[in-house]
Amino acid sequence: MIDVAQAVGFGRALRGAGLSVETRRVAAFREASGRLPLTDLYWAGRATLVSRHDEIAVFDRVFGVFFDGGRDERPPGLAVAARRRAVGLGSTAFSPDPRGSRAEVAAASAAEVLRRKSFADCTPDELAALHRLLVQLRLVAPVRRTRRRRLAPAGEPDLRRTIRRAFRTGAEPVELVWRARRQRPRRIVFLLDVSGSMAAYSRALLVFAHAAVRADRRFEVFAFGTRLTRLTPALDTMRPSEALRRATEAVADWEGGTRIGPSLQTFLDGYGRHGLARGAVVVVCSDGLEVGDPALVGEQMRRMSRLAHRVVWINPLRASPEYEPLARGMAAALPYVDVFASGHSLESLEEVARAIEAARTRRARP
Amino acid sequence: MTRFKDPDGVAAALRSESYLADHGLSVALFLALSMGRPLLLEGEPGVGKTEVARALARVLDAELIRLQCYEGIDAAQALYEWDYARQLLYARLLQSGELAAEDAIHRLYDAPFLQERPLLAAIRAGSRAVLLVDEVDRADDEFEAFLLEALSDFAVTIPELGTVRSDDGSAPVVVLTSNRTRELHDALKRRCLYHWIDFPGVEREAEIVRLRVPEAGDRLSLSVATSIARLRGLDLAKPPGAAEAIDWAAALARLGYDEVTEAGAAETLGLAVKNHDDLATVSARLSELTD
Repeated sequence: MIDVAQAVGFGRALRGAGLSVETRRVAAFREASGRLPLTDLYWAGRATLVSRHDEIAVFDRVFGVFFDGGRDERPPGLAVAARRRAVGLGSTAFSPDPRGSRAEVAAASAAEVLRRKSFADCTPDELAALHRLLVQLRLVAPVRRTRRRRLAPAGEPDLRRTIRRAFRTGAEPVELVWRARRQRPRRIVFLLDVSGSMAAYSRALLVFAHAAVRADRRFEVFAFGTRLTRLTPALDTMRPSEALRRATEAVADWEGGTRIGPSLQTFLDGYGRHGLARGAVVVVCSDGLEVGDPALVGEQMRRMSRLAHRVVWINPLRASPEYEPLARGMAAALPYVDVFASGHSLESLEEVARAIEAARTRRARP
Repeated sequence: MTRFKDPDGVAAALRSESYLADHGLSVALFLALSMGRPLLLEGEPGVGKTEVARALARVLDAELIRLQCYEGIDAAQALYEWDYARQLLYARLLQSGELAAEDAIHRLYDAPFLQERPLLAAIRAGSRAVLLVDEVDRADDEFEAFLLEALSDFAVTIPELGTVRSDDGSAPVVVLTSNRTRELHDALKRRCLYHWIDFPGVEREAEIVRLRVPEAGDRLSLSVATSIARLRGLDLAKPPGAAEAIDWAAALARLGYDEVTEAGAAETLGLAVKNHDDLATVSARLSELTD
């Protein structure tokens, strides 16, 4: 059995690398190491300290450094410092107007103007104000029937309760009790294009997604440019500014190039197919400017439309009256999109929210 | 419960039951048995997660009790349910005086009216059972909390009957599988040992095929394993698992092939590749599967 100090040290090293290693796991690791020959120390750790596939690579790396190359000599602050290096997006507070009610009226109509103003034309202050309004935008997901049942005024007979009640009335089932399937909101999955061409909109759309995720923990947010990043864990905070800061930090290729097709494919292969997109409302936010093969975009969108309940595509370019989906990526995707909206302004995002909520019935598609 | 001295002992015993475990898996199973902890298995579909539990039950000469999880599963479906029709009938008989009424009342909620479900059966059987909780990620999180509770004490309290546990106080061996459709709760993962089952390498896959499809022979087994490995390299939406390899080899053997040829592969590809888009991809590149 390895000694306590070593087990604890290894646990700490893993924690430093981002794994959640509770004391209980360290104790289990030590116990396991005692039951195995020393050559199996690796596997003792793998079975007790890891509980997700993507943790294995981290474990392997730390194990190699800790047990083969001696103790990790790097100062513990280094990794944290590196993570904090990325640019923080400070929140600009919406300064309350000290003047009286006349100013409030003016502010109200200013807000009305702001609602229609494209995110691309807004000043940083206006954007900050919009972010505060966006947070209040409630996104209600359409519901689906689950297999769980609950007591209901009508539906199918609930035998358990009926018989229970029958005993009160001399084993005569006088009162029939019914049950019906429970309904649950569907999951909403956001796929945000954070490439350079979307720079004017991606922050506002991220705040929009963040507001939704805050309301329902089962919602998921992904960002893509040249590669796909799962943002959901980074958005697990109440403050939009903090969420933005963490998101820009988590995405390596923020405002870089776009590879829509491969990103969609990574999403479907890694998450969607495992059930994340099944029966969900998928909201893709992208201008559809694909530099790669547009056929791949079409192919992946076809897969997506078969998995998802509804596919919503938000494309800020659509706001222009002359817009036609000529971008080859967009044209390839469009046949598989149920709701095509611009989402370039608050008002337009409100429309998107209404469209999502209305997507209750199954679409008919050739 | 610790019949085994070391992981190699577990591997050898599984092998005698036609299951080839790699070293990591035998270590995880050995630890689960000797530390008395549930084992959570993850891996791509078709790598033999469920099969591990089956083979383990045969090795331990225990009964395999399977709890298949699905969305909406609740305690009544996992633990127990009263047999309402019988209860009602019994109550009617009491009423019409055909049965003596004294202590008949509390017999209404006694063992004969209890319908045992997998979890209760496993708890009662104790170490004589291997409990397989299959696809636990499909159940809702409420059910997961309930499962966690049952797995921590291996005792269940039925209000009308009292607490149920195994006669000798032992706990069943528990294997959970998950396909990662959602993140499991931390508390559940903390209780479990964990092992990720990888696709086997060509050599071991050939051995698995040989073991499970004796009529395939050495040549066909190796050839199928090689082609399967190449299929997995093709970036398919659904890469073939061990189950597909076994079916494919059996089909090719039945048709009289002794290796994977282009013609043979074209006739039987549906057994290895089960996605429409993938079929199109592979059909165009059949020659790459064979030497």
